[in-house]
Amino acid sequence: MIWFAWRQFRLQALVVAGVLVAVAVLFIVTGPSMLHLFDTSVANCRANSDCGAATTIFHDKYDKIVQFMTTISVIVPALLGIFWGAPLIARELESGTYRLAWTQGVMRSRWMVNKLAVVGGASMIAAGLLSWMLTWWATPLDIINQNRFGSMVYDTHYITPIGYAAFAFALGVTAGVLFRHTLPAMATTIVAFAAARLAFTSYIRPHLMSPVMKNISIKHATNFGFSRTPSGLQFIAGTSSYPNSLVVKSVVMGRHGATVTPQWLRLHCPKLIGPPPNASIGKVGSAPGGPQYFNACVNKIAQSFHIVMTYQPANRFWTFQWYETSIYVLAGVALCALSVWWVRRRVA
Amino acid sequence: MTSALQATDLGKRYGRKWALNSCTLDIPTGRVVGLVGPNGAGKSTLLQLAVGLLTPSSGTITVLDERPASSAEQLGRIGYVAQDTPIYPGLSIGAHLHMGAALNSNWDAQLADRRIRDLALDPRQHAGRLSGGQRAQLALTLAIAKRPSLLLMDEPVAALDPLARREFLAILMEVVADQEVSVILSSHLVADLERVSDYLVVLAASQVQVNGDIEELLATHHRLVGSRREIDNFPDAVQVIESSHTERQSTVTVRSVDPILDPTWSVESLTLEDLVLAYMSQAEVQRRDLVRTNGGAR
Repeated sequence: MIWFAWRQFRLQALVVAGVLVAVAVLFIVTGPSMLHLFDTSVANCRANSDCGAATTIFHDKYDKIVQFMTTISVIVPALLGIFWGAPLIARELESGTYRLAWTQGVMRSRWMVNKLAVVGGASMIAAGLLSWMLTWWATPLDIINQNRFGSMVYDTHYITPIGYAAFAFALGVTAGVLFRHTLPAMATTIVAFAAARLAFTSYIRPHLMSPVMKNISIKHATNFGFSRTPSGLQFIAGTSSYPNSLVVKSVVMGRHGATVTPQWLRLHCPKLIGPPPNASIGKVGSAPGGPQYFNACVNKIAQSFHIVMTYQPANRFWTFQWYETSIYVLAGVALCALSVWWVRRRVA
Repeated sequence: MTSALQATDLGKRYGRKWALNSCTLDIPTGRVVGLVGPNGAGKSTLLQLAVGLLTPSSGTITVLDERPASSAEQLGRIGYVAQDTPIYPGLSIGAHLHMGAALNSNWDAQLADRRIRDLALDPRQHAGRLSGGQRAQLALTLAIAKRPSLLLMDEPVAALDPLARREFLAILMEVVADQEVSVILSSHLVADLERVSDYLVVLAASQVQVNGDIEELLATHHRLVGSRREIDNFPDAVQVIESSHTERQSTVTVRSVDPILDPTWSVESLTLEDLVLAYMSQAEVQRRDLVRTNGGAR
């Protein structure tokens, strides 16, 4: 039975294996030179703690290709769900071959569990291999960027892609079983998968563990400035950077929960002039009303306000990877169970 | 084992439409059963219920005294050739045979290989490139290499040209002679069934119209021709199937175990085709009456 599930899947598996080999070749060709540049420039400059120039060179050279490969890696689980998951049962129902398959001397549920195990397992292996290669290849940039919890790294490196692949595959299978047609199942898979990933990333991931809270002086913020709003000037303090951590929220707050209102600014920084209309948010040194007023005003704000940071610290990275991967895999298993049940009870 | 297929008040409904309605049947083993009826009469539905692809909406069905698809062993005892003989177009003939071997515990690999050789087919050939007749032969091979006790075939020859049709049925008869297998095959053409079957089930308007041994059916059905008259004065043992009248003459198809002795009728025997057509047109008349009555009530 396993043999036949594999035999039907062989061609599709070969296509993806070919793509993985191509990616591996690209990584093996470009990886060592990227590592060499890192070792000779960025790693050295760190000793002298002046890395601006070195990282700029590195970014210029490798940002685009790493971003490109990362973006592709984000889509890969969805593609597996669309091209491996959705047609798996839907194609049999659509073309009528289920009448051949389900009348052999094997129970329908066993037939289906075997198919799900072979193709679902292959999905997870494919996504895992790609993630493993990408994680190795992009290491220098990850070290420079110090943003392991950022979506581009967290979602494409280590083990989360395995969870996404399991989930997308199961989503495809379930949609295929419910719709009985490949095309609508494919469309549903991509929409449902994107929706689930976006919702999870923005609403569930930040709260997988209760975050840590910390007060930070405004002077330690990485960037701050003013913007013009209809009601007057608005103070903005950029997120103070905590390397490799996941910032849930960061707000500027005074005693008793007070905030920097336009009224407060008019009162305490009367000479401060905002950026011209429609200008982007003020940045460090882009000094509306001149640098002396800008700095004086920031000093005044810093006396009464601070930044309240809510975040998931860097040392929780692996806990989060395991949590998220497990949740997606379990959701995938649940969907598979649902589709097996549906095929046994409801289909035909 | 006494029954190949036993149905009690069996029904299958799609939405509000009954594809098969209160069907009660008891088909013995060891027969070649022709299941005949017009398109949409419920033949496919009955066969799919028998192989467990469909579940009944009402009533019960057992096949070889077991509920269809109740176990892998039960599935292994039934050979099924589905309508339009589905195959995997991307897989070779050899891969199909491997599938049969992998999925069926009683698989007879020698038989399968020999049949493919006899058909002069190349096992490496993709099944998607086979002609309709070759496809049907492949499907039949897959079904009989399981060494089934019962072979169910849903319009196996409908898509074939006359030559392929004759060849298919000839091979089927060889199989029946070689193996101890009961067969139920459906067709909307009596001619296809006449050559091979010894038992008949007529299905029309979602219901079983008549079923039984063909010789017995032919012996007990008669066509009566005589001067025009009312036809409600037959004894109870004589069942009127169909009647038609011209200005001067009445023609009645009846079922009766006893011979018709009334000298005012000239008694003719029926062909199988006549018999089937009589039941089908009777079903059609009843269906129209029903529609008319329902329409009038509205």
